[in-house]
Amino acid sequence: MRRRVGLGAIQQQKLAAEKYKDKGTDLQESQLEQMTKQMDVFRSKLEEFAMKHKEDIRKNSQFRKQFQEMCAAIGVDPLATGKGFWSVLGMGDFYYELGVQVVEVCLAANHKTGGLMELDELRRRLVAARGQSAVHQEITKEDILMAAKKLSIFGNGFVVHKLGKGKYIVQSIPGELSMEETNILNAASNTEQGCVTQSQLMQDLGWTDYRARQSLDKVLGEGLCWIDRQAEEEPVYWFPSLFPGRNAQATA
Amino acid sequence: MTEFQWPWEYTFPPFFTLQPHEETRQQQLKVWTDLFLKYLKHTNKFSLSINEQSLPLFHNESIQRRLSPELILVILEQLQRTGHAAALDKRRQEWQVYWYTLEEYGNMVYDWIQETGQTNSICTLYEIASGESSTQMDFHGVDESVLLSALRLLEEKGRCELIEMDGSHGVKFF
Repeated sequence: MRRRVGLGAIQQQKLAAEKYKDKGTDLQESQLEQMTKQMDVFRSKLEEFAMKHKEDIRKNSQFRKQFQEMCAAIGVDPLATGKGFWSVLGMGDFYYELGVQVVEVCLAANHKTGGLMELDELRRRLVAARGQSAVHQEITKEDILMAAKKLSIFGNGFVVHKLGKGKYIVQSIPGELSMEETNILNAASNTEQGCVTQSQLMQDLGWTDYRARQSLDKVLGEGLCWIDRQAEEEPVYWFPSLFPGRNAQATA
Repeated sequence: MTEFQWPWEYTFPPFFTLQPHEETRQQQLKVWTDLFLKYLKHTNKFSLSINEQSLPLFHNESIQRRLSPELILVILEQLQRTGHAAALDKRRQEWQVYWYTLEEYGNMVYDWIQETGQTNSICTLYEIASGESSTQMDFHGVDESVLLSALRLLEEKGRCELIEMDGSHGVKFF
């Protein structure tokens, strides 16, 4: 193309640039519009999907888990709001109901467990409390964790502690569990019977004599564990919440 | 006789050590007192001696834990507080323990006498505790010395009179 010179040419170039810019904005706008449309479609599809499978989500634990995972992947928390289309699911209700039951079950057992309950046991008790029909039996540990985590917003009276090896313990008495206490619980949960001794703590956690004794006294003083002075070498500290024999008898 | 159902705590080693934490101890004693009563009812026993070391109630062989005499005494004193036990000797080694309190036994017997129209007639303690006519009653099979203590309470209230007959007792209800 022949190169143009002069004022007219400059003006024309300017005009062209502006036109390009306009076109660009146009394109951007149309893309945004398309995106919005796509999002709308996605939203309505998701809504449709949720509506269609509402019953499945409520009743089928496997399905519910997958749905939760899908929601987590796209960054949506179906429990975050009771408004909007999530409410059609009744997902919130499901977990709120479960949450209330979790509290009931934990409080009812507080005097026996000292306020700590293992997740497996919590599930067993929940299932027993929820009644016989299959719908009520179909709750997974994930469901309970989800419900229990929601409860933590009420303050430190209700906390879920992870103990490693996929074990969880639900604390239903007010008060923070310190790092020491959590460590002791952890050490106890790694034993078959759910008990620890001072020397075991010193060996496993590298604690000093004094620190181990102090921490054990504290746990004992809070009523979280029982002391057994009839063991051969040294006192053994037992956590009823971790003692397997407790459930063996309860189900017998 | 069906086998006795031990509570889960019976296999929980620290259950045999008195707990220092107040709430835990209350809980522990509650389970122990229930267990004492249930065990005695099951074996139809009405007395306990703190020195009965081999009694399964005091000793779980499978986990090698036993109740110390001091702890047994604490449990029995707790039972005494609710009217379910009484020491028989001054050293508090021999105890009478009963499922119902003496007052409850007395009332049950008195109601039964009223219902069966035996007021104003004399019956023996054996008739009341082990006689054929009382087999359906909750107090049937009660130890005669426990029954005697219960009737003494009734006597104080003026609802019966105990009569000594050749070393055994008879009773007349009003």
